[in-house]
Amino acid sequence: MRIVACIKAAPEDQDIHVAPDRTLDLSRAAWKVGAYDLNAVEAGRRLVDEVGGELVGLSMGGEALAATKLRKDVLSRGLDRLVVVAGDPAGDALQTATALAAAVNEIGDVDLVLLGAGSADRYAQQVGTVLGALLGRPTLNAVDHLEVQRDHVRVERLLEDGVQVVDVPLPAVLAVTSGINTPRIAGMKDILAAGKKPVLEVTPPVGAPAATTRTVSVLAPEQKDRGRVLVEGTATEVAQQLAQFLKAL
Amino acid sequence: MTEAWILVYDQEAGTALTRSARALADRVVAVSLGAGALATADLTLTVDVAPGTLVEAYARPVAALLAERGATLVLAGADVRGRLLAGQVAAHLGVSPVDVAGVVQASPLVVTHPAYGGVAVVTEEVTAPVAVLVVAAGAPGPAATPPVSGSSAVEASALEPEPGLVLVETRAKSGEQVNLASATRVVGVGRGFGAEADLDLARAVAAKLGAELACSRPIAEGVGWMPAERYVGVSGATIAPDLYLAVGISGQVQHLVGVRGAKVVVAINKDKNAPIFAHADLGVVGDLYEVLPALVAAL
Ligand SMILES: Cc1cc2nc3c(=O)[nH]c(=O)nc-3n(C[C@H](O)[C@H](O)[C@H](O)COP(=O)(O)OP(=O)(O)OC[C@H]3O[C@@H](n4cnc5c(N)ncnc54)[C@H](O)[C@@H]3O)c2cc1C
Ligand SMILES: Nc1ncnc2c1ncn2[C@@H]1O[C@H](COP(=O)(O)O)[C@@H](O)[C@H]1O
Repeated sequence: MRIVACIKAAPEDQDIHVAPDRTLDLSRAAWKVGAYDLNAVEAGRRLVDEVGGELVGLSMGGEALAATKLRKDVLSRGLDRLVVVAGDPAGDALQTATALAAAVNEIGDVDLVLLGAGSADRYAQQVGTVLGALLGRPTLNAVDHLEVQRDHVRVERLLEDGVQVVDVPLPAVLAVTSGINTPRIAGMKDILAAGKKPVLEVTPPVGAPAATTRTVSVLAPEQKDRGRVLVEGTATEVAQQLAQFLKAL
Repeated sequence: MTEAWILVYDQEAGTALTRSARALADRVVAVSLGAGALATADLTLTVDVAPGTLVEAYARPVAALLAERGATLVLAGADVRGRLLAGQVAAHLGVSPVDVAGVVQASPLVVTHPAYGGVAVVTEEVTAPVAVLVVAAGAPGPAATPPVSGSSAVEASALEPEPGLVLVETRAKSGEQVNLASATRVVGVGRGFGAEADLDLARAVAAKLGAELACSRPIAEGVGWMPAERYVGVSGATIAPDLYLAVGISGQVQHLVGVRGAKVVVAINKDKNAPIFAHADLGVVGDLYEVLPALVAAL
């Protein structure tokens, strides 16, 4: 079985500097693979280990994807190889999914496309839903458990008010939850092996769809000024102070 | 006259969605997938959903219907099904779904949504010929909208689902009613708790304070100690209590976004350098396993 796991690199939010006028400076931010995309990688690895096949990572983005460190990081989590498409990581769901769909078709013979719950920067949880429609394949989001049964996968889908058990014929597109598994932490051996795994750069499709929206502004929300009083001491002391504070509210 | 279309598969959620739609348009037309007529809409197109069929299997025919009727504004809820339905309908209409946490203005349509885990708010104008919005609960604010009363006409619409997905079974969640949004005091627990049973320490404090219990996302989705409705943050609940007491929570921006509206924030954390302290009115440096029992005794 050939599985593609979609991963997006995004600027680390802790490194984003907010200026007094609330504009953002991303220039010093390190780019990292989205935490929830690793759940897709892990889910793919487990399936391939079980039924055999290949797990291919797929990422669309800019310069950040050229970094050896980032490539090694994601390859060390269980991918067999990585496919990189040059494109704008700030693109909307349709633009992103269009690039990913072309790459999935180019990779060829893909039985299952897995996505994370949401990207670290946009977190729209939408690229998978659009990708599935573009590829014309059965599509589900919020997949919390999955199991291959011959020509289909049986999944549990976590809704707000319950769980759906759904049979999904292959090939399919599935976005997983952040609770579906615990992504592995790469060991030294994995990181060394990652350096030898193939990375393929594919050319983006020509003629991207027009943007659906025009950005007016990207600003940090207004912050409330907090008291920032810090108390330290024995548990009894600090509990006394805290109780006093709470009773006075 | 402006017209908004809403995608509905549940009466209650549909009513809430009508409210959001009325803030954007004069007339509201519902496409109801198996949920019957919606009293609050001006017109409902009812679609019978065959047993064993997911409502999302109607995405393509619904998109065709919307195109045929010249819909330019379509709203779906920001729940799991709403997201999939909206994303697929949008894709079939050749546009991207638009995430909406807030509405700045209706015409031209300008909306907001968070980005970078809540570090930023993006304001954007929808420029595509069709706007397919994924609307977070309460956006735009119901306060600004007139009372809902549609003339509720009904038309049956026969649509064929796409084959593929087979719904084998639906298991209802043992529905505990949580209403964090209206709680005046909230105690939030995080990964500082080592075991599920230890949450009783927080429950004891919450009982003394008359507070609701909430948590960080990993407590709900990582270890599953609490239901998802109880996690606070950019992808969870947004709360604005008088008091938020964060215990064993580091204070990542994704979590803090959900408590920005709190009047007073108090944090207990054993790490003096925990980011939460920069966002708290009062910070207590200490081990929760010692501080919480002492606090219960002192309250
Ligand atoms: C796209 C995206 C969306 C997200 N959305 C959300 C969201 O909506 N809500 C959310 O909460 N998170 C969200 N997250 C996750 C978020 O980034 C953090 O991982 C999470 O909030 C951390 O939870 P925590 O503070 O409980 O755990 P940790 O970060 O592990 O912090 C645990 C804290 O407990 C302290 N501690 C440990 N032991 C003790 C003790 N004995 N006594 C006192 N203190 C102790 C530690 O010092 C530490 O500060 C999201 C992440 C992403 C990528
Ligand atoms: N540029 C990208 N390259 C590869 N995968 C992506 C990209 N953007 C989004 N994804 C995938 O789509 C999921 C949902 O993204 P989003 O709709 O932005 O929240 C992510 O968790 C990734 O698995």
